[in-house]
Amino acid sequence: MTDKVLNGAEMAVLNSRLEGAARKMANTLLRTGRSGVLNRAKDFSCCIVTADCELLASAESLPIHVLSGPDMMARVMKEFHPDLKRGDAFLHNSPYHGCSHAADLTLLAPVVDDEGVHRFTVLAKAHQADIGNSEPTTYMGNARDVYHEGALIFPAVQVQRDYKDIGDIIRLCEMRIRVPAQWRGDYLAMVGAARIGEKELLALGREVGWDKLQAFTRQWFDYSEALMVEAVKAMSSGTVTASSTHDPFPGMPPEGVTVKSVVTIDSDASRITVDLTDNIDCLPCGMNLSEATARTGAMIGVFNSIDHRVPKNAGSFRRIEVKLRRGCIVGIPVHPYSCSAGTTNIADRVANGVQAAIAGLGQGVGMAEVGAVIAPSSGVISGIDARNGKAFVNQIFLAFSAGAAAPKNDAWWSTAHVGNAGLCCIDGVELDELYQPLLVKKRAFLTDSEGAGRHSGAPSTYVEFGPLKGEIDVGYVSDGHQNPAKGVCGGQNGGAANQFLMSRDGGKVELAGCALVHVSEGETIIAISTGGGGYGDPTTRAPEAVAEDVREGYITPDRARIIYKVSVDAAGNLDVAATRRLRSN
Amino acid sequence: MRFATDTGGTFTDLVVEDDDGRVTMYKASTVPSDPVAGVLAALTLAAKDRRLSLADLLARGDTFIHGTTHAINAIITGRTAKTALIVTEGHRDILTFREGGRIEPFNHTVPYPKPYVPRALTFEVPERVVYNGEVLTPLDESAVLEVIAYIKAAGVEAVAVCLLWSTINPAHEKRIGELLATHLPGVPVTLSHAINPTLREFRRASSAAIDASLKPLMSRYLGGLTQRLKEAGFAGEVMVLTSGGGMMAAQDVAEAPVRVINSGPSMAPIAGRYYTDLEDKGQSAIVADTGGTTYDISLVRDEHIPMTRELWIGQPTRGHLVGYPSVDVKSIGAGGGSIARVDAGGLLHVGPMSAGAVPGPVCYGKGGTEPTVTDATVVLGYLDPDFFLGGAMKLDRDAAYRAVAEKVAMPLGLGVEEAAWNIINLATENMVQAIADITVAQGIDPAGAVLIGGGGAAGLNSTFIARRLGCETLLIPETGAALSAAGAMMSDVTGEYAVSLFTTTADFDYARMNAALEELRAKCAALANRAAKKVLATRVSIVAEARYENQVWDIDLPLTIARFNDEKDLAAFRAIFDDAHEQIFTIRDPSSHVEIVGLRATVSCKVRPHEAFRLEQVGKVDAKLGKRSVYFTGIGWVDTAIYRLEALPEGKQHQGPAIIESPFTSIVVDPQARFRRSAAGSIIIHP
Repeated sequence: MTDKVLNGAEMAVLNSRLEGAARKMANTLLRTGRSGVLNRAKDFSCCIVTADCELLASAESLPIHVLSGPDMMARVMKEFHPDLKRGDAFLHNSPYHGCSHAADLTLLAPVVDDEGVHRFTVLAKAHQADIGNSEPTTYMGNARDVYHEGALIFPAVQVQRDYKDIGDIIRLCEMRIRVPAQWRGDYLAMVGAARIGEKELLALGREVGWDKLQAFTRQWFDYSEALMVEAVKAMSSGTVTASSTHDPFPGMPPEGVTVKSVVTIDSDASRITVDLTDNIDCLPCGMNLSEATARTGAMIGVFNSIDHRVPKNAGSFRRIEVKLRRGCIVGIPVHPYSCSAGTTNIADRVANGVQAAIAGLGQGVGMAEVGAVIAPSSGVISGIDARNGKAFVNQIFLAFSAGAAAPKNDAWWSTAHVGNAGLCCIDGVELDELYQPLLVKKRAFLTDSEGAGRHSGAPSTYVEFGPLKGEIDVGYVSDGHQNPAKGVCGGQNGGAANQFLMSRDGGKVELAGCALVHVSEGETIIAISTGGGGYGDPTTRAPEAVAEDVREGYITPDRARIIYKVSVDAAGNLDVAATRRLRSN
Repeated sequence: MRFATDTGGTFTDLVVEDDDGRVTMYKASTVPSDPVAGVLAALTLAAKDRRLSLADLLARGDTFIHGTTHAINAIITGRTAKTALIVTEGHRDILTFREGGRIEPFNHTVPYPKPYVPRALTFEVPERVVYNGEVLTPLDESAVLEVIAYIKAAGVEAVAVCLLWSTINPAHEKRIGELLATHLPGVPVTLSHAINPTLREFRRASSAAIDASLKPLMSRYLGGLTQRLKEAGFAGEVMVLTSGGGMMAAQDVAEAPVRVINSGPSMAPIAGRYYTDLEDKGQSAIVADTGGTTYDISLVRDEHIPMTRELWIGQPTRGHLVGYPSVDVKSIGAGGGSIARVDAGGLLHVGPMSAGAVPGPVCYGKGGTEPTVTDATVVLGYLDPDFFLGGAMKLDRDAAYRAVAEKVAMPLGLGVEEAAWNIINLATENMVQAIADITVAQGIDPAGAVLIGGGGAAGLNSTFIARRLGCETLLIPETGAALSAAGAMMSDVTGEYAVSLFTTTADFDYARMNAALEELRAKCAALANRAAKKVLATRVSIVAEARYENQVWDIDLPLTIARFNDEKDLAAFRAIFDDAHEQIFTIRDPSSHVEIVGLRATVSCKVRPHEAFRLEQVGKVDAKLGKRSVYFTGIGWVDTAIYRLEALPEGKQHQGPAIIESPFTSIVVDPQARFRRSAAGSIIIHP
């Protein structure tokens, strides 16, 4: 411990270096990963936690992966392996020990200084194409429990010693994870990322001194907390309750699951409390949240609602309290309840509820609901490739557009769901058709499906696809059919999800929201994803913006007139006088 | 006589090479509304220097090489042609879906980007080709004719066509091209498979759309430039710099203007490679070009200049992806104009806000009130207020001092000099991080590379950058202040050709691979023949875009063999790939197959007759100009020797502290560093 206090300039430099290390890890993982979910969808995160297991730097990681979770995982690693050595690495994907869900396999590497003192832990977390589930999907919404789910579970299991793999673990994975060569490639990418982060931190520690780095982390947390205090002081105090309902899926009650979030803003004390305890117990399905995603879901809702410049780390987190209950579906899950889809469906309902609740405090804060996942157009497809006889399994990312409107802006469209915040990439049609025996017949935005508002939510996407040759299985968990993304402050709901199977003779059959569908040659699936909610009364939207939406074919002149009270012809020409008349009534 | 110009945001740089090989360098202010005026002003300076009229100077020129930001500026300001896009039925929204992705996940104040071509001008036509080139749905020509009629009525000025899998089977795109030529004569067209044969349809569509939209404007601009140079007395050939680091005849640019989008910044590594090789042949280099508002970084690795397909106009994911291969140049908003401020939590920030050229730093005395990096250098004595731009502009040191004191030193609780030093230090850190990003992506260890400092402001903190990166050598070339223009003078006439093909070491398609290689070489030879009368030497290099199976991001692997004859050749290729992958990403995976997704060929025709490239010494000045007080952290104010760059004798090793000045630049060497002038005229600093 040192008394030396770093000045604001030294702080800025050290922060930049730590963020740089996390970014270097992420760049490495992105460029070397094998499965599409890594290298195309960027469904991964890299971060640094302190020796005390507090989140310090996370570059621009997937929100649902990092806000809470890395801290708990590092703690568990220390608890199970108190004698950490340089060159160790641990696999962790246990939702009962701090991981988000089983598919998010994480590699933790302790950063141990030359004296043998554990200084930081670097984490590379990557959503796997497969984790050995009983069905070829990583979101097994219908899993009765972890046994039915079938995922390999690693509660901080050592996988490297002296920088060398422990072969037993690798072989075990290769026997239980589909397409093992692809898995091994992704594993190598994670090792590469973690080791690059470790190398950077060791160099930084030697250069500036470990004590100074420790002083920095303390001050950096204080600085972040101070900015958080400012942000919360700018809000008005109050308690708001919002609920967000997930469609009924197998293993759920017939009315679905309603998640209740009670948000209390105490502006004077600069504290935000999210109480999730008044919710149902864990269910015998794969939809339960892990503790990490329950906490993180609530925190995402908070950070979506405030000044984005507040750093997201253990310092600003001091001002957020998330109340959870053991055995609750949005709380601390009890083994063997399954959390297979714990990062998306119900977690989204938590985040959406919180940001919609905060919006209820008054114009200018919060956010509308982001649409739900996972339509078949982002599903996991698998089978035997009829072009070469090889097995394949991959999550594809053909389309999503669930972005919600914010107080001062239209939505960022290409958002997969609230937990991912738009970081996910969208596949090219050609890449998907090359790697899988697919034919994508149509991919477009759906007219009149946006969440209308003063600021509008994103429109739904429409994708029609099927096997070019042979047959494929498509697994998905498509929420948001009965409960589309809600608008706030007078804004309207976004478009609802739906899916159909088109038979060879042109027949169209509606499909369940959660299913593994077998699609034969000549058949296609039509996938409609959710749109996002709108913010504010649509009749206050700028008429020129409405006219442009008509001109571009996103909305029809009828919708412009009825919902927005704007008079515009099919070519997008605005009738100012008629609009004034419509809006004055 | 040859002229090379680079039009930047603030200055237009000119390098002149006389027939006897003498090189001289000039700078004039850029005229944003009329870039040609800035070029003519710089040429006028060169004429004066030779006691010639502009017409006489130009009459002696045989080549005029031009770097221009005209294309990129037109895109940024929305002055491109009204462009339509024709796509495969069902895929109208290619340019709106893009490839997803976002920066700043919690920042909900940035709007979702609009497609480069409005949806209202994007048209679907019934047709479909699949992954192996087979036609699933034939092209409906009557539908195409309907679209053309609509486009005509809408007053469209340019058309881009991008169909799925056109790189494997371009028949439908070609047929649409024919129909457009017949029914819409005079309207420029770009076909995606011809402009950018890459597998990713969004990038192809984006390249095609951007290219088409630039055609009318770039034809006009370059036509006008050629005409005005001709009127002023120039009868030689006008060449334009490409994003790929070469040059092409101005009249050819009209056919593929997307090739010149990053014209200018792409030249810095050409000059960087030249100067590095003079000191230490084959050494990797980081080439950093410091401007007033941007800091451009490019690389030289094993004599090659790495390329990228990820050139964005604007910010990544928020701007437009060009998709066309370009020299990998990373630009960040950092430079002399970057503003320093302390936030409510007491943290110092430098940039990304910039005072720009107007009002500029406080010390310019043009109304700037926020302290900038330049102001900090004035406070520290790095810049001589009376010798800025050779004395052409007086700097207000007191105003700079007051601004740093009030806005940075007081809130941080530091002395003014220490505050100024911290501004430089944080600006340095921002630049170092940007260098780290590009070097990790290209697999270069900065500690093993030479740092090349280009741009007039490079000397102010490059010693510190080099030290932070662990570089043993910082090299500031004699022409560093006009590095891109110097690179332009050294550059070759180039042609770039690509083919998209997919094969894997598991089942290697020798016949297709060898046919593709032959096709590429034939195209290269054709270009060399066309330019034959002036070509001194021709070099063809071919890279394979390769990756491990199921990776998506390929690496450029230079091919060392002319054709693949047998498994031995394939094994050799594979071994090189494993090495390259390990070098870039620290891991190799011998158990995975390697996929090749495309080939790119570059033909370079050397046209510059001279080997040496030395600035001519103009007039006589003293090498040592006395001393002035300069502040260094940890030491305080130090009496520091001031040297004149052009007059500094070669060879002698000096110990810092020192400031080396010229009318174009000021180089700071702190007390720990040593420096010398090399035989090639560069300043070599060992931090």
